[in-house]
Amino acid sequence: MSNKVAIIASNGGLFDAYKVFNIATAAAATEKEVAIFFTFEGLNLIHKQGMHALPMPAGAEHFAEGFAKANVPAIPQLVEMALELGVKMIACQMTMDVMGLTTDDFIEGVEVGGAVTFLEFAKDAAPSLTF
Amino acid sequence: MSIKADFQLDAKGLSCPMPIVKTRKAIADLVDGQILEVSATDKGSKADIAAWAESVGHQYIGTVEEGSVLKHYIRKCSDDTMDEQAFEQIIELDEAMKREGLILDVREEAEFAFGHIEGAKSIPMGELEARIGELDKEQEIYVVCRTGKRSDLAAQKLTAHGFTKVFNVLPGMTSWTGNLTKNI
Repeated sequence: MSNKVAIIASNGGLFDAYKVFNIATAAAATEKEVAIFFTFEGLNLIHKQGMHALPMPAGAEHFAEGFAKANVPAIPQLVEMALELGVKMIACQMTMDVMGLTTDDFIEGVEVGGAVTFLEFAKDAAPSLTF
Repeated sequence: MSIKADFQLDAKGLSCPMPIVKTRKAIADLVDGQILEVSATDKGSKADIAAWAESVGHQYIGTVEEGSVLKHYIRKCSDDTMDEQAFEQIIELDEAMKREGLILDVREEAEFAFGHIEGAKSIPMGELEARIGELDKEQEIYVVCRTGKRSDLAAQKLTAHGFTKVFNVLPGMTSWTGNLTKNI
């Protein structure tokens, strides 16, 4: 059985963030080795400012109340927990260049890498997930 | 009734994945064999805690529902497999059931509460020394736990105290297919 979980985060909305970080923290808490590869809009999820104001999908704004009521942790809190649990976060260098971002734009603890960095990690990971 | 636990974790009001994250953190402070009680209101936590324990190798004992609160019981264990069988007088569970002696269950109270053999006496391994006076040297005693590891130690302890009609039940409750009595 593989002890690795590999995740690609390629979308930048609030729902996407929950999908990515819930699975990542749950896996890490189950003693799995977890890596998330952030690419394109997914970079939003680890952006210092961006992560505090992630957009809801159009027409789904009314879920804000549901999030508050269900006492769901805020994304920055989940990210901090994920890092504490040892989740590896890799920002895609190529998309950073395209979008004009540098490591200073991201929260601490994020590494920068290319596609091969992720592929190397994911080659024996199960499951591999894309959000 | 309340079930005895060594530590209590309050995860009420928290949603997934927080109960799991907190449970992982809390169990790190326990020593092997101790029981953690996790109170949660997240309905998904029952399946999650059981799956988590299975995955990381701890023993999920069971869950009690008290209104909207779910109380999960987990026993920390890094290794419950029999590595060394030291006590030589052994007996199979089926055979023990046919005989007249006493079934002595040395698992923790919580494990006993969630399912034991009708008529068995519960003395957790850790209390055996102090409660040894409750046992009769003239009676045959079949010591049982989950896998045979704790009962092996308990049987040795009884022998050291002068008990001679002692048998370690192998493999233990994991192989029991009969009815289980619950105290919950």
